Amino acid sequence: MTRLLAAAGLLLLASAPLLTGNPFFQHLMIMVLFWTLLGASWNLLGGFAGQVSFGHAVFLGIGAYVTMLSYLSLGVSPFLGMLAGGIVGAMFAVPIGLICFRLRGPYFSLATLAVAEIVRLVALNWEQLTAGPMGLLITHLPPVSFAGATIDWESKVPFYYLAVILAVSAMALTFAVSRSRLGAYLTAVREDIDSAEAVGIDTVRTRVVALALSAFVVGLAGGFYALYFRYVDPDAVFAISLSVEMVFIAVVGGLATTAGPIVGAVVLVSIGEIFRDRFQAGHLIFYGLFMMLVIRYLPEGIWGGLQRLFRDRG
Amino acid sequence: MESFVQSVVSGVLTGSLYAMIAVGLTIVFGVMRIINLAHGDMVMLGMFGAYWSYTLWGIDPFLSVGIWAPLMFAGGMLVQRFLLKEVIPKGELNTLLYTAGLSLLIANLALFFWTGDYRTLNLDYAVMPARPFGISVPIPLAIAFFMAIAITTALYLLLSRTDVGRAMRATAQNPQSAALMGVDVQRIDMITFGLGTALAAAAGVLLVPSLYLYPTVGEILIVKCFVIVVLGGLGSVPGAIAGGVLLGLVESLGAVYVSVAYKDTIGFVLFLLVLLFRPAGLFGVGKS
Repeated sequence: MTRLLAAAGLLLLASAPLLTGNPFFQHLMIMVLFWTLLGASWNLLGGFAGQVSFGHAVFLGIGAYVTMLSYLSLGVSPFLGMLAGGIVGAMFAVPIGLICFRLRGPYFSLATLAVAEIVRLVALNWEQLTAGPMGLLITHLPPVSFAGATIDWESKVPFYYLAVILAVSAMALTFAVSRSRLGAYLTAVREDIDSAEAVGIDTVRTRVVALALSAFVVGLAGGFYALYFRYVDPDAVFAISLSVEMVFIAVVGGLATTAGPIVGAVVLVSIGEIFRDRFQAGHLIFYGLFMMLVIRYLPEGIWGGLQRLFRDRG
Repeated sequence: MESFVQSVVSGVLTGSLYAMIAVGLTIVFGVMRIINLAHGDMVMLGMFGAYWSYTLWGIDPFLSVGIWAPLMFAGGMLVQRFLLKEVIPKGELNTLLYTAGLSLLIANLALFFWTGDYRTLNLDYAVMPARPFGISVPIPLAIAFFMAIAITTALYLLLSRTDVGRAMRATAQNPQSAALMGVDVQRIDMITFGLGTALAAAAGVLLVPSLYLYPTVGEILIVKCFVIVVLGGLGSVPGAIAGGVLLGLVESLGAVYVSVAYKDTIGFVLFLLVLLFRPAGLFGVGKS
């Protein structure tokens, strides 16, 4: 059943650009996939290990800036830049994790919030490196040839497929983690951290590994952001609201599930973007509303709720 | 020397208002064990309340505290009764996420109705600062300072001298025992959340003549508020007051002696250090 659903989903994702040429709809699908990617990588730490980070925008921003700067000042190919963004993000995650994981529960969340604000303020003021609030702009992305075909970045379609690859890989990664020893450790940390330590799990190392993995994927997403929007500034990529949106997508979709983030992203991002298209401000109203409804009535998230429904029926 | 005195004065003035907001957050945490991420948005609602009552009806913000604080007290009681009460038993993290949702909802409704424009409220008597002893003191900030002291003192007396205050402190220490001693814990929770909301909104009203207001102003205020409350020890009222003044001082002295650009960063670094090395707060009074 699940396998059938996954295959149907993949087929739909692969063929979607053939179905419509409407640029708003293409943008919408790219955004849904982008947020699926972020929600899935946040879920690695927040869902499986129960460590609610309010600071994941740090890694998004680092990935975006590394990609941007390595292309603009070093002339590195944007794809390698994206990869570098992920790696640098993961490298930053290690010290951040070692500091913040000394704290538990809500205190950890507050500490990640503080780290995110510090990084944002540094990015805003370190003008030699980041150009400060002016931001960085890519005016031209050279077309690349891939498997004999030329990829033209002026169109949205290549970004769409790039987003599909990234989002599906992130979901595959969360699935793999959920079946792995690391996943079992993370669940143990979430359920009872003291007992996990008592049975010999190095909880700090486990959580740091999960954070680094999560940061790597968010860093890649940051690189994608930089290439797709071609403009970054500290308030765009290091904003608290970005970190919070990732949390909301994962929680509303379903914590610690593989399909949760895509469900959360489809629901929240499409409502949000359609609202933003019609009215200028306030597209996050529904994020807040859904968050409150889900916590109160459906703590396992929309996907978790659907799964329970099917189980009860069948 | 003069710039030192000047920055101490402005640090204490701003710090007193920070303290007032933080006291609201800390009593809610102390009694109900929830970290209310929507607290900054309550300040924002107070600011907009004062702004509209001034622009539409010409009521001076320092008088409209008398309207907005009681209204927000009632609003806070309703939020606790109809929104938070069912969620608190689901655990600390769920409650944190729930208040994050509430915060996003309030801020974005405000964005939708009032747009993201930066607004200011200019009072006639606020143009020139007073200059006692050659130190420049902005008049609205000075009035706000004295009103913040009065309101915080009133709260302190309420907590220490009245039956309701005693019941609140008992609930903070141990809700089960308090209930066994005949304290209506549900009612105390409502009153506490109402008071926290009213303090936040009142501080917002008092801040309006001195700050820009915009719908997402709560975001930066709540983050500062956490810094203060952690500095002073979560759940401690004197700690929150001391932490508020301390943060005000750190910011204004940091702006003069370190760098204007990094003045906010100093507060966050201090916050991380305290969280890591003295989680009970600088004064060792809070419960971690």
